[in-house]
Amino acid sequence: MSGLPISRRGLLAGSALLLASTALPAIGRAQTPKKGGRLIVAADSEPRNLNPAIVASNGVFFISSKVVETLAEASFDGKDGLQPRLALSWEGSADGRSVTFKLRDGVKWHDGKPFTSADVAFSALQVWKPLQNLGRTVFKDLEAVDTPDKLTAVFKFAKPTPFQLIRNALPALSSVVPKHVYEMGKIEDNPANNAPVGTGPFKFAEYKAGQYYRLARNDAYWDKDEPYLDEIVYQVLPDRTSAAAALEAEEIQLAAFSAVPLADLDRISKVPGLKVITKGYEGLTYQLVVEINHRRKELADLKVRQAIAHAIDKDFVVKTIFLGYAATATGPVPKNDPQFYTADVPIYPFDVAKANELLDEAGYKRADDGKRFALKLLPAPYFNETKQFGDYLRQALAVIGIDAQIVNNDSAAHMKAVYTDHAFDLAVGPPVFRGDPAISTTILVQSGIPDGVPFSNQGGYKNADLDALIAKASETLDTSARTGLYKEFQKMVAADLPLINVAEWSFISVARDTVGNIANNPRWAVSNWADTFLAG
Amino acid sequence: MKRLHRFFQTPEAIAGALILALLVAIALAAPLLFPGDPQAIAGPALLPPLQNWSLPLGTDRLGRDVLAELFHGARTSLAVGLAAAAAALLVGAVVGTLAGFAGGLIDEVLMRITDAFQTVPSFLLALAFVSIVGPSLGVVIAAIALGAWTGPARVARAEVLSIRERDYVAGARVIGMHPLEIAFREVLPNALPPVLALSSVIVAAAILTEAALSFLGLGDPNRVTWGGMIAEGRTVLRTAPLLSIVPGIALVLTVLGVYLAGEGVVESTAVRRSLS
Repeated sequence: MSGLPISRRGLLAGSALLLASTALPAIGRAQTPKKGGRLIVAADSEPRNLNPAIVASNGVFFISSKVVETLAEASFDGKDGLQPRLALSWEGSADGRSVTFKLRDGVKWHDGKPFTSADVAFSALQVWKPLQNLGRTVFKDLEAVDTPDKLTAVFKFAKPTPFQLIRNALPALSSVVPKHVYEMGKIEDNPANNAPVGTGPFKFAEYKAGQYYRLARNDAYWDKDEPYLDEIVYQVLPDRTSAAAALEAEEIQLAAFSAVPLADLDRISKVPGLKVITKGYEGLTYQLVVEINHRRKELADLKVRQAIAHAIDKDFVVKTIFLGYAATATGPVPKNDPQFYTADVPIYPFDVAKANELLDEAGYKRADDGKRFALKLLPAPYFNETKQFGDYLRQALAVIGIDAQIVNNDSAAHMKAVYTDHAFDLAVGPPVFRGDPAISTTILVQSGIPDGVPFSNQGGYKNADLDALIAKASETLDTSARTGLYKEFQKMVAADLPLINVAEWSFISVARDTVGNIANNPRWAVSNWADTFLAG
Repeated sequence: MKRLHRFFQTPEAIAGALILALLVAIALAAPLLFPGDPQAIAGPALLPPLQNWSLPLGTDRLGRDVLAELFHGARTSLAVGLAAAAAALLVGAVVGTLAGFAGGLIDEVLMRITDAFQTVPSFLLALAFVSIVGPSLGVVIAAIALGAWTGPARVARAEVLSIRERDYVAGARVIGMHPLEIAFREVLPNALPPVLALSSVIVAAAILTEAALSFLGLGDPNRVTWGGMIAEGRTVLRTAPLLSIVPGIALVLTVLGVYLAGEGVVESTAVRRSLS
């Protein structure tokens, strides 16, 4: 055997190479949509309430946006950054008191009943306005929804409401739920909240707690060619390190929302058959924010807040904690927002000497042990990065003589401690910018918000000028005037620091290269995946 | 002296004692060798070990000195282990002595309470306690002691049951000593040696429990703990495995050292007993 020039192993290797080379064109061709297949994705949390009309959050959308559709979806190249879903067109009146939606014809709910304007009216008035976490603000002046025919819904507002705001709110806030399912009994207790019924390309099939969610193809979807997939299975993998291993073992085909830790991306991008995708989250920018409790007398002093801002090395945060997958922030609107962002705001470069000087000026001299005062710091437990930033912030504050003691909580206890009990001095939070400051950004600094509203100003900050500006912007109909007011808003927030914006980041998807049509809209992970397909 | 001599006769005991001595030295030297905050950012993030001699074990994800964290972590581990074991032994000895000496209804009640605690897995108990009260060093110690005092209590009671029938106890009764005084001044000291023999097991278990709690994020977040280091290293397990392995090895060595030294003590006392 040893005398033979061709060993068995060599022959096998050679034939494998041959096979691989003939397979190459097949891989190239495979990127045309193909029907069928089961897509298995990693899910890192198990939301109990899956009704996106009530809980407008990405954790819920990730699963239920495939089942329950919105009036419109975000788009890279559509007009005003939108593409039609349940609504075909939308038109605002000049006085800002009404918006007319023309709805799609021939859409059926998963239980076979037809979708009509009555469902839209019901969702808007009974769910979005009174119950939805974000809709409460945006639709607060919605008075009535007229339904002149089955395919027209006219939103009537008591006060002029900017059409720009309604438009920007459509992708996240306008999930339409079926009236005939929800009209009996209390909407919050409806069983459909746990097994949603919608018009989307996938039907909710099954949920096994701690194991998986299964969605099945909706054969009666309004787009006759879609969806391509037969099934989507959300494999619950709460352990973040297991997602990468599961991808490599081909147990799952997609891990969205940075389920693969950032530190692993460099390695995983070199694994054959896997691709790292940074696109598809442009409309879901998270902001790393230091929330401040202004009830603490030290923190009520602007100089102390400025000192803290100067003590944070934003470049270090982006480079070390986010490994470059983030951008430094200048204010409450992220840099990647095409409509509202302005760079013309006061900035706080990393400057320890300046921070120390400001604290001395404010009258908080270092004691003999080098410390000025102690604070309670509550990092939000939702992301590795928020926890790590908590550890970093503690060290950064120690350098300027502020002794921050970290208090760790689980998600529920953190929510309660920060947003209901106000038992914090500083907190690290990840609010989301949703394409318009009026949706979820102004409430971070506005006063008069009841206790217990998550991701809102619960730090007791009150600034009459800022409140007036927010109120004025909310009634300004002219798009450019409104945009101008929000630029002013960014300046005021950056100058008075009701909170400190540190960085902006989005997510990373890792997928097998057989998964097609990934990241083709700015909210891809939370869009309906009707055109997603599996090749090969 | 003789006992000490006997203790050092077995190689296990010597190894155990050496490891423990090293550990105590590390714990005591930590604030001298690494003054200041061990969690301070000391260099670039994820520096591999043996690259920079001022940071011999490299740095973690935030650029903190791993060696400094390791040294300071030894303090936490030892402090928690010793304090939790001391608390467990104290509570266990007192409860066991009371139950054994008093007998009757008090015995019944105390031993049923002990049973109740023993039926709940001690780690679960600690987990529940810390998540309700909130993580801090004192709470973690109390939580671990909560699940560890039952063993000493049972051993102490068994020992007391035999001692209380001895003549000198009867003598103490005759001269009119208060029963509590007899229990704690005459009986307990004589019942202690077998209870103390449990200490190595308890210390080892306490160190492991503390590490497990920290690993789950229920340790004191303002202190360096080995469990916490392992948990943090886990996110970069594939790219920087040493961040988890190094504190893991420290943990294994510590538990091994405590266990071996404990065995040595038990053996040397056993020899003494058989001699006498």
